[in-house]
Amino acid sequence: MRPTQAVLKSARSAWKGPYFIPFPNLRDSLANNEPIYTQARACTILPNFVGVKFMVHNGKDFLPVSVTQDMVGHKLGEFSFTKKRFTFKATKK
Amino acid sequence: MVHILGINLPNGALVRLALTNIYGVGHHTARRLCARLQVHDQCKVSDLSPFQITSLASFLSSPATAPPLPRFPLAKPDYVPPPPSVSAKSLIDAFMEHRKTKALKNPDPLKNLKIESELRREIRENIAHQRMIGSYVGRRHAMHLPVRGQNTQSNAKTAKKLNRLGRY
Repeated sequence: MRPTQAVLKSARSAWKGPYFIPFPNLRDSLANNEPIYTQARACTILPNFVGVKFMVHNGKDFLPVSVTQDMVGHKLGEFSFTKKRFTFKATKK
Repeated sequence: MVHILGINLPNGALVRLALTNIYGVGHHTARRLCARLQVHDQCKVSDLSPFQITSLASFLSSPATAPPLPRFPLAKPDYVPPPPSVSAKSLIDAFMEHRKTKALKNPDPLKNLKIESELRREIRENIAHQRMIGSYVGRRHAMHLPVRGQNTQSNAKTAKKLNRLGRY
């Protein structure tokens, strides 16, 4: 029966609001269709991010994430995978 | 044996324990349901009156549209009754006005209760949403693996059994 859970759908308290990073070049990148390179995986996707292309760091390189309406409220890091499935390498001959 | 929404409640069991046979009702919700129907703590299913059974079934079939419980607020210890010269009508009007301005402190805890197929549908939709937006959670569900970073070298049996896109 905590109202904060219903408001934010997260464990973070309501008075803090969502955690996000202000991207100063957000409007330019939306107009020019240029991706924003970022390492802020914990940044919450806000409604004004919709349509922007991000390149989100996964610890090794930047993976493309294009934000849609349904992604609002999730974090940027949820869409940039950090793990690779194990596959056997073909032996050289 | 009592059937409610197609679920058996065994006769010999306590009502608050038998209600947990319903998917989506745990011990806490079962106690709230008992309180709503004024069923005492040690009441067994066989002791339920037909009226209580029908009212339970009607409440569980649509918790959101159930009529709100009547509220009878108690007077505070320092309450001073108004002088008898005040008419009853003006008192009732003042009470209703007071109720309108004051927000209800304890809203009905069972208002948003979801059980059985409705709850299963919600869970299925949440998984489908995660899968559709292409997040890590949705991907782990599709791979039948734990979602929250648990180890998978051994065990992870529950996740392998349950984590799938069409869970129910």
